[in-house]
Amino acid sequence: MQNAIAIMLQTDPNQASQPLYPDNTSIWHHMSDALHQSLDRVLSLLIAILPGILAFIVALVVLTLVGMAVSAVLRWVLAAAKFDERLARGRGNLDWAPSTSPTALIARVSFWACVVLGLVIGASAFDASYASAATLPTSLLPYLAHVVGAVFLLIAGNLFARFLARSVLIGAVNAQLQYARFLSLGVKWLVLVLTAAMALDHLQVGGKVVELAFGILFGGIVLTLALAVGLGSRDLVSRSLESHAEHSSEHSAEPPIAPTSSPDDGIRHF
Amino acid sequence: MATVDPILDITGASAPPGVGLLVLLAAMAPEQLERVLANLATFSPPEGMPVASSEALPANSYPSFQIVAAPAASPAWTLTASDFVSAYQLAEKNKARAVLILGPESGSLGSTALHGLADAVLATQTDLAIPCYELPPHAGLVNSAILYPLTRALFASRVRFPLAPDLGLSLRMAERLARAAQRFTAINQGETPLWPINEAAIAGFTIDEFDVGPRLQPQAPGPDLNTILPVVTGSLFSDIDAKATFWQRFRPLPPAANFSPAQAPPTDAAPDVASMVQAWRLAYTNLQEIWSLVLPPNSLLGLKRLSATDASAFRMPDSLWARIVYDFLLAWRLRTINRGHLLGALIPLYLAWVASHFNITASGTDPERHIEAVAAAFEAEKAYIVSRWRWPDRFNP
Repeated sequence: MQNAIAIMLQTDPNQASQPLYPDNTSIWHHMSDALHQSLDRVLSLLIAILPGILAFIVALVVLTLVGMAVSAVLRWVLAAAKFDERLARGRGNLDWAPSTSPTALIARVSFWACVVLGLVIGASAFDASYASAATLPTSLLPYLAHVVGAVFLLIAGNLFARFLARSVLIGAVNAQLQYARFLSLGVKWLVLVLTAAMALDHLQVGGKVVELAFGILFGGIVLTLALAVGLGSRDLVSRSLESHAEHSSEHSAEPPIAPTSSPDDGIRHF
Repeated sequence: MATVDPILDITGASAPPGVGLLVLLAAMAPEQLERVLANLATFSPPEGMPVASSEALPANSYPSFQIVAAPAASPAWTLTASDFVSAYQLAEKNKARAVLILGPESGSLGSTALHGLADAVLATQTDLAIPCYELPPHAGLVNSAILYPLTRALFASRVRFPLAPDLGLSLRMAERLARAAQRFTAINQGETPLWPINEAAIAGFTIDEFDVGPRLQPQAPGPDLNTILPVVTGSLFSDIDAKATFWQRFRPLPPAANFSPAQAPPTDAAPDVASMVQAWRLAYTNLQEIWSLVLPPNSLLGLKRLSATDASAFRMPDSLWARIVYDFLLAWRLRTINRGHLLGALIPLYLAWVASHFNITASGTDPERHIEAVAAAFEAEKAYIVSRWRWPDRFNP
C-alpha cells in the first residue's frame, strides 16, 4: 500500500521541465495586437471626428458671441425708441414684469435664436465629419439624439409635475381637503412615473418590462388615489351635492344671481 | 354687464354739453327695474334724462324719461369694462353732460341717494360721485380687507367702496374710464372690473363720496370665493402695477368725510371662527412651501405664531396683514410663482384675516374702527412696498 502511494506521488522529472501552455508569448502577443488595433481604431475615429467637434464648438461660441452682440444692440435700440412705453400706450394694460418687458423679451429671444442657430450649424458640421468616419458604429449618433430627447422629456415632465402638484395642492387646501398634500404628491408622482416611462421608451431601454412596470405603477397610484379620495371625501361629496341641489332650486326661482358664500353663516365676502 | 363692439371710436373731443343726465341701468329683475324707475321719477333734471337699459322698458309708463336702448347685457355683480364703454358711447350719442350708472340690485337704493349722486355730477364740479353703503358687519369683507386699504394707502383716497356698483360720472370722467375700458374690450376681456378711483386719482379729477344708506349688495353669479377673489385681486394688482409711477410718490390723504360709514345691526348668525381657524391650520401645514417663495422670514414667523394660537385668541396683527398683501402684490409684479397659484395661496391668508376680524369685533371693537386700523396699517407700511418695489432683490429679513 505504501509503495503504491509512493508511486502515485512520484513526479516525472521530464514532465516538470515542460511549459504549462504550448505558446505563452503568442497569447500576450495576440492580446497586445488586439489592444493596439482597438486603440488605433478609437484614435483614428477621434482624429476623424475631431474637426467636427472643433467646428461644433467654434460655431457655438461664435454664434453665442454674435447673439450677445445682437441682443445688446436690440436692447439699446429699443430702449432709445422707448418701445415698451409705445407698446403699453398702444396695447393698453399689459402686465409685463420688469424681467419680461417687451424689450427684454425681444433681446432674449434674439440671443437664444443665435445660440440655437450655432447649435444647428455645429451639429451639421459634426454630422458631416461623422459621416466620413466610417469606422464609428452607425447607431451612436441617432442614439445620442434619443438621449437628448429623453433629457428634454424629463425636464418638461418634471416642470409639468411640479406645476400640477402645486395647482392640486392649492385647490385642495382651498377646498379644505385634509389629504391635500397626499393628493398633490400622488398627482406629482403620476406625472413623474409617466415621464420616466416615456423617457425610457424613447431610449428604447427595457422594452416590454418598462411598459408592464409603468402600467402596474400607474394603475397602482390611480387606484390608491381613487380609494383615498373616495373614502376620505364622502362628506365633501355629499355636502357638495346637497349645496348643488339647494342652489339649483334657488336658481330656478331667481335666475341671474347666486350666493358667493354659504348663506347660513351670514358671511358675505363681496 | 354689457356686451359691446370692442372697436369703438372714442374721440378726444367731447360733445358740446347741452343735455342733462344719462342713466345707464344694469341688467336686473323686472321688479328691481320698476323700483329704480320709480325712484328716478321723483327727480328729473330740467334738460331731460335719457334712461338706457338693455331690458325692454315701457316707453309710456314714465313720460318724463327718454328711453334709450343699451347694448345687450349679461348679469354681473359689479361694473365691468364693457359697462364703461357703453356708458360713454351712450352719453356721446345723447349729448349728455353726466352719467349715472346703476348696478344690479340698485332698486334697494333710495331716491335721495340717487338724487345725491346725480346732483353731484350735474350741479357741482365733481367728476366721480361714489356711494358709501351701509352694510351688515359681516358683508363686503374683501373690500374691507384688501380693496379699501390698498386703494387708500396707494392712491390717497378715503372712498370706502372702490368697487361700488353705482357711480355718478362727469362726461370727462366717463370718457377717461371708457378709454381705460377699451383696452380690455379690444382684447375681448370686457368682463374685467375697472378701478374708477385709481383712474380719477391719476387724472387729478374730483372725487366725492356720498352716504346712500343701506343697499342690497349684488352677489357674484355662480363661482365661489376661490374663483372671484383671484379675479378681483388680480385686476386690482394689475392696475396698481400699471400705475406704479403714480403711487410711489407720497400724497397726503384728503380729510375724512363729514359722515362715518354706518353699519346695519348685526345678524343673529355668529360666524364659526373655530372651523375657520382649523381651516387656516390645515392651510398653514400644506402651503408653507409656497408662502415661503413669496413672504419674507419675518412674515413667515408671524404666521407660525398665528398657527399656534387658540381659536378664541386668534388675532392677525394689522401690520402683518398689510405686509402679506404688499408681498403678494410684489410677487404678482415679479411673477415669482404662477399668478394663478399666487392668488390661490392668498385665499387662506385672507380667510385667516376674516377669522381674526370676527374675533376682534366679537370682543366689542366696532368693525368700522378695526377696518380703519387695518387701512392705517397699510398706510404705515407703504414705505415697505415702495422700497421692495424699487429694490426687490435687496435683503429683506
